[in-house]
Amino acid sequence: MRGSVAQGVLRRLLYALIAIVGVAALVFVLLRMVPGNPVATLLGEHADNETVERISSSLGLDQPLPVQFANYLLGALRGDFGESYTLGKPVSELIGPAFVNTLWLALAAALVAWVVGIACGLFAAIRKGTIVDRLFMGFSLLGVSLPVFMVSMLLQYVFARYLHWLPVAGISDWTGYILPAIALGWGSAGSIARLVRSSIIEVLQQDYIDTARAKGRTNSQVLVLHALRNAMLPVITLMAMQFSGLLSGAVITETVFSINGIGRLSVQAIAGRDIPLLQGTTLLCTFVIVMGNLAADLLYNVCDPRVRKGA
Amino acid sequence: MTQSTLEVSHLYTSFFSERGEIKAVQDVSMRIGKGQVVGVVGESGCGKSMVARSIMGLIKKPGKIVSGSILLDGQELTSLGENELCKIRGKDVSMVFQEPMTSLNPTMRVGLQVQEVVSIHENVSKEEARQRTLAILSAVGIPEVKERYNAYPHELSGGLRQRVMIAMAMVMRPRLLIADEPTTALDATVEAQIIALLRQLADNGTSVLIISHNLGVIAQLADHVYVMYAGHVVESASVFELFDNPLHPYTLGLLRAVSSLRSQSKVLQTIPGIVPNLAHLPVGCSFAPRCDKCMARCTSTQPELVAVGSGHEVRCHLTKRVDAQ
Repeated sequence: MRGSVAQGVLRRLLYALIAIVGVAALVFVLLRMVPGNPVATLLGEHADNETVERISSSLGLDQPLPVQFANYLLGALRGDFGESYTLGKPVSELIGPAFVNTLWLALAAALVAWVVGIACGLFAAIRKGTIVDRLFMGFSLLGVSLPVFMVSMLLQYVFARYLHWLPVAGISDWTGYILPAIALGWGSAGSIARLVRSSIIEVLQQDYIDTARAKGRTNSQVLVLHALRNAMLPVITLMAMQFSGLLSGAVITETVFSINGIGRLSVQAIAGRDIPLLQGTTLLCTFVIVMGNLAADLLYNVCDPRVRKGA
Repeated sequence: MTQSTLEVSHLYTSFFSERGEIKAVQDVSMRIGKGQVVGVVGESGCGKSMVARSIMGLIKKPGKIVSGSILLDGQELTSLGENELCKIRGKDVSMVFQEPMTSLNPTMRVGLQVQEVVSIHENVSKEEARQRTLAILSAVGIPEVKERYNAYPHELSGGLRQRVMIAMAMVMRPRLLIADEPTTALDATVEAQIIALLRQLADNGTSVLIISHNLGVIAQLADHVYVMYAGHVVESASVFELFDNPLHPYTLGLLRAVSSLRSQSKVLQTIPGIVPNLAHLPVGCSFAPRCDKCMARCTSTQPELVAVGSGHEVRCHLTKRVDAQ
């Protein structure tokens, strides 16, 4: 049985690798189909054709696409993602610090989402049909439906500009993460709360809950010892996928709160037709999302003995 | 008369839904002596599971016990609070459910699910709880208990899972074991094994309340039988008396449906019609609309449960009239 688990993990790793290379190829081709010559953009309106061609050739842009792609992949394996056109630095040096900023933001937002989401879902489920339930579900519906930029600006207005409790934007210390984490985490908290609620309500109707009560467990013991683990199974998948989503850059939140993360870097790269930089950020996001899904799968395996066999 | 382990008197249990009161159990009285096996038989929805849940104090909302008394060795259960009931459930009264496939927690090792009962009710070391769990698992006929202890429910067959359920219900040596359709989800050979196991428990002094729609199971296990219809006990007798001398038209119908399977008759005998809606019961006898011996007063007056012999009671106007002669 242990052997089949290892095999399962290896198989999933292989799928993950295929997915990453596939997305890299797709991004590579798509970016070259975008209208507008990056070199022309780089050099400005008044560059002559000869200079454009000379620079293109020095960047390797005149070679056939498959050759360019192979070179890119070989470089990426060595940690070399090329040099940014607009910022004049190696892409790997730009992505590193940006990813650290994004990581902190993602962790802070995930903390908000998980704590608030699970707590709201749990209380709504055990107080099903009461005012508490409706209040929490309304709160989570707001989180799911309100656009992030709107929430961000409301938070900035109330807590920074009006109450002066927290900085408006930028990260000077940890307090800078509070508002963006709430803005970013609220939506995730909303969907987690709704899933936790429905999952707990469903699990509490299962026969084994009756069995647990027939053993003499109190209601709260039944909830914690028998319902919670089973109810969290679908939630784990959602949480892992949301987290990889958060890690791959919150474009709007990072822009509104001036956080130099992956999302903001991607926006800069798009604006500047900075192909190597955009490829770098996209590849990183793909990697993070694929790994996040892999982690969700493996975590699910650990938590649910029923899927372990066929892993 | 021997001391009764369980004495239910005039129990009424209802569900209060938006469409009105649904009377699931009405005026049900039953007693179970020590080491006695008592069967409750009836169609789906006749209230037999609700009697079991009322005894366990496990009626789901919006249902509740409206009136009546449930005495366990003389202790009144209906007036107990949730915390006191938790101390009794699993220790003094335990229950085996119908579906062994879904009645075990899928993410918990079966050994721990049995062991849990010991640690809830007794302050013993983990090792002692484990030893008692292993002992009860082998007592209910589970082979290779040490391996099975660590198994998850999905790794066991239906029969083994039901044995785990019975082990769970038996580990504290309760005074009363309630088995709600314990063999319905199992195939015939496994059913026979489970019946033998329950019989053995009763012989060791545990009182058993067995609920089934299967008269065959009841005949093999029970000493005394209650036939339920639409929330009422319509007939109650010792198992031999019931099969020899059934008096209520509903009991007759049930027995005819079984015996028509045994005889070479080409047509399956059935009871026409369906169980009435418990929210809108007929004014008179609940069985009147389906009864082939229905008389005028059956549709206007509810019959009383009357004794017709030693331990034999029937709720039917027909019987009363025969008695009067």
